[in-house]
Amino acid sequence: MSKRRAVWLVGFVLLGALALAQPKTISGYGNLGVTSGKAGGSLTLALGSAPQTLFYYGAIDSAIQTLANQMFDGLIEYNLANYKIEPALAVSWQISGGSRVYTFNLRRGVKWHDGRDFTADDVVFTYGQIVANPEARGGDAGNFAGVKIEKVDTYRVRFTLPKPAPAFIHYMRLPIMPKHKLLGFSQEGGKAPAEINNAWPTNVNPEEVVGTGPFRLQSYTPGQQVTLVKNPNYWKRDENGTALPYLDRLQYLVITDSQARVAQFLAGNLGQINITGAEFPDLKRREVQGAPFKVVQFRALFGSPPHLAFNYDAKNPELARLFRNSDFRRAIQAAVNRNRIIEDVYNGLAEIPGNGMAPISEWYYDTRKLLGSYNLQAANAALDKLGLKRGPDGIRLLPSGRPLEFTLTYGSNSTAFTGIATILQNDLRQIGIKVNLQGILAANLLSTGRGKDWEALVLGLGDQPDPELRTPIWKPGGALYYWHQSTQPTTPDGPPQFNNFLPWEREIYDIWEKAASTTNFTQRKALYDRWQAIFAREAMVIMIAKEFAVGAVSNRYGNYVYSLGVIPGYNPVPLMFQR
Amino acid sequence: MWIFVFRRFLVAVPTLLLISVLVFAVIQLQPGGFLENMLEDPRVSRETVERIRRQYLLDQPVWVQYLNWLSGVVRGDFGYSFLNNRPVSELIWERLGWTVFLAVLTIFATWVIAIPLGIYTALRRHGLGATLANFIGYFGLATPDFLVALLLIFAVLSAGGTSVGGLFSPQYIDAPWSWAKFVDMLGHLWIPLIVIGLDGTASIMRQMRANMLDVLSQDYVRTARSKGLAERVVLWKHAVRNAINPLISIAGLSLPNLISSTIIASIVLNLPTIGPFLYDSLLNKDQYVVMALLMMSAVLLMVGNLLADVALAWADPRIRYE
Repeated sequence: MSKRRAVWLVGFVLLGALALAQPKTISGYGNLGVTSGKAGGSLTLALGSAPQTLFYYGAIDSAIQTLANQMFDGLIEYNLANYKIEPALAVSWQISGGSRVYTFNLRRGVKWHDGRDFTADDVVFTYGQIVANPEARGGDAGNFAGVKIEKVDTYRVRFTLPKPAPAFIHYMRLPIMPKHKLLGFSQEGGKAPAEINNAWPTNVNPEEVVGTGPFRLQSYTPGQQVTLVKNPNYWKRDENGTALPYLDRLQYLVITDSQARVAQFLAGNLGQINITGAEFPDLKRREVQGAPFKVVQFRALFGSPPHLAFNYDAKNPELARLFRNSDFRRAIQAAVNRNRIIEDVYNGLAEIPGNGMAPISEWYYDTRKLLGSYNLQAANAALDKLGLKRGPDGIRLLPSGRPLEFTLTYGSNSTAFTGIATILQNDLRQIGIKVNLQGILAANLLSTGRGKDWEALVLGLGDQPDPELRTPIWKPGGALYYWHQSTQPTTPDGPPQFNNFLPWEREIYDIWEKAASTTNFTQRKALYDRWQAIFAREAMVIMIAKEFAVGAVSNRYGNYVYSLGVIPGYNPVPLMFQR
Repeated sequence: MWIFVFRRFLVAVPTLLLISVLVFAVIQLQPGGFLENMLEDPRVSRETVERIRRQYLLDQPVWVQYLNWLSGVVRGDFGYSFLNNRPVSELIWERLGWTVFLAVLTIFATWVIAIPLGIYTALRRHGLGATLANFIGYFGLATPDFLVALLLIFAVLSAGGTSVGGLFSPQYIDAPWSWAKFVDMLGHLWIPLIVIGLDGTASIMRQMRANMLDVLSQDYVRTARSKGLAERVVLWKHAVRNAINPLISIAGLSLPNLISSTIIASIVLNLPTIGPFLYDSLLNKDQYVVMALLMMSAVLLMVGNLLADVALAWADPRIRYE
């Protein structure tokens, strides 16, 4: 009797454990070439810069973003194939109260790397004390102002929003931090708000940096390498029930120079690298000649497609008037040879871009007709119609009689931007416009654009899975609406300067206002479709190309899916295995 | 002698002050900065950027920022790195070891190779060996170091090698020291040694050769020979000792190279030295890191000059007696 009772007891405990632990099974990526792998092995990847901190919210830094993806999890994550939102640390959620109340049911049985249980306290702490902390350098206080965050019970968290925010669910991709390790840096722990930035500097004891992610930090050698090891208790399984990640070890070498990365990859010291279209031919040739790696291309959602912007507030009033004129920008657009740029600059590894949304995105509206095609005759005719007569040297003249010339600023340390700028200069000369090229560091393009001292600029801004996430770029008056700065508010919190809006900008502004408080997908889609159409029709900025994501992976590894690396919630690395 | 050193020290202080003002001003002139680029991340709003500007006291007038920095330096605090949120001195310290190691090794190798070669090419002006050495020297002078680096990497890759950057293979970077790690390092070390050292070797060799030729045609050398001294004594005691004098000041001037000479080569070769760190800080306008490194460079230049003067006085009695 007692024996039977013992069996029952064991059975109950097992059942209970099964019910409590809620592993997530990863399946259905057959179309991405994912098969079931085997455990063990190690992989070495490259980091483009040394991490500035080991605390995700302590800096905006691509290195820690890449590392955090492996060490931490968010409440939600993206499907690797279609970018749809899937459960991660939250197993399910309900949206109620007029789309203002989000209740998340958390995954049970998840352990921090140091063995402590992951609970609602960690989620409340992460969002309440870190993300919503306006002094946290990598926080997101702007989107969490007025949001009430509360613990319902050990495994349930509720967010109450002041007003409906349709893209709110995407903010749940941010990594959840351990309260038991970071309390001492928080306001709740009695510290000043800015103190949170001092958590986990690069010389921290690696044992302190605990997450729930597939790998945990083992060591950091300053400026050289970060070593992560497998988290044996990770909550993901493959189709056969094998624990993920497959790999035992993940190493990141800090290599700033892209040529050096390629060399290290060719030497076999790196297992996988992300490359550009410019590096593609050489690597592809080696692959064809039998080198032990594959060059793989994907149409990716993430990435920064370049555009050509004109400064509507250019210092020269004659140019500003012209740049503000949609007819002028459309004429320029007709002289942008997108197909040649795709062929020559990207070696065919790019496509006609969307307007603000990637062509692969569910939000994409097909603007290809509105973008038109390369037609110098049409461009010439349109410029003639604007009254810009050609001078004796073939360069058109402004009404004042001065030649129509402007400076085009581009990133001279980017092969793609340099190629694009040269092609543009060449084609614009054909239609009687003199372009003076000014190369600056690609890293300084955005700050130059946000200044006043430029006329035309080639710049790439990142695509995101939901248009709402890019409001500061595309909504007139936003912080990154840099081509028409006179629409921006005069005080940081003030309203935009509506009196400087062009009629179609006002239309776009109203669309974004309305979309921001609409939660129904179909209605939002209709609104954003309208915006993309206006964007393309007015050639607000001239989109140039959307580059494919290209990566090279050694034949020693299986299940490779391209990842930019820095996007929270998009992490295919746990599926990779060593053959 | 000590009065001389003390006087030089007194002159150094206002010079350094002046340099620091200039450097600070130049950093402010540079466009861009890391704050603007943060805005590209969907997490960051205009308010966040302004708040960080305040956290770092970047909203203060430039002269206030400079005085803050200066008063910190007097107290031995070189400020914080904006990017790393850590004291500048710690960050430099972490990278100093390999930087000094590489620099000392290359300077040593450069001199050990260049001086004898210089003497040799001067004595055998038209020999085959000298012509070959001269050719390599010209090649070294004419080719930028990063190009040499790329050529060497290409050569290693073509030969099927794997040591194409860094000082270690990935598995040894954070491994404890062992014989295997040492061998692995030797396998990597020769590339940076050639890349960083070639230029210096070539120029010192050319200099030594020119000096030697100069000295060998002097009257006192002819006198020494004609009074029947052994050629060995003429060469080493009379010629070389005089010819090497101008190189001592060059040696002093090469001290700041510890920090700034090898930036591009270090980036291409992925070396864990201060060069790429300085480059990154310059790009991101991480002003206190830049200040600390450039001031270090200035101090090293002055110390190098001083050491060179002392060494010259030691080597050349004529200078001492003046």
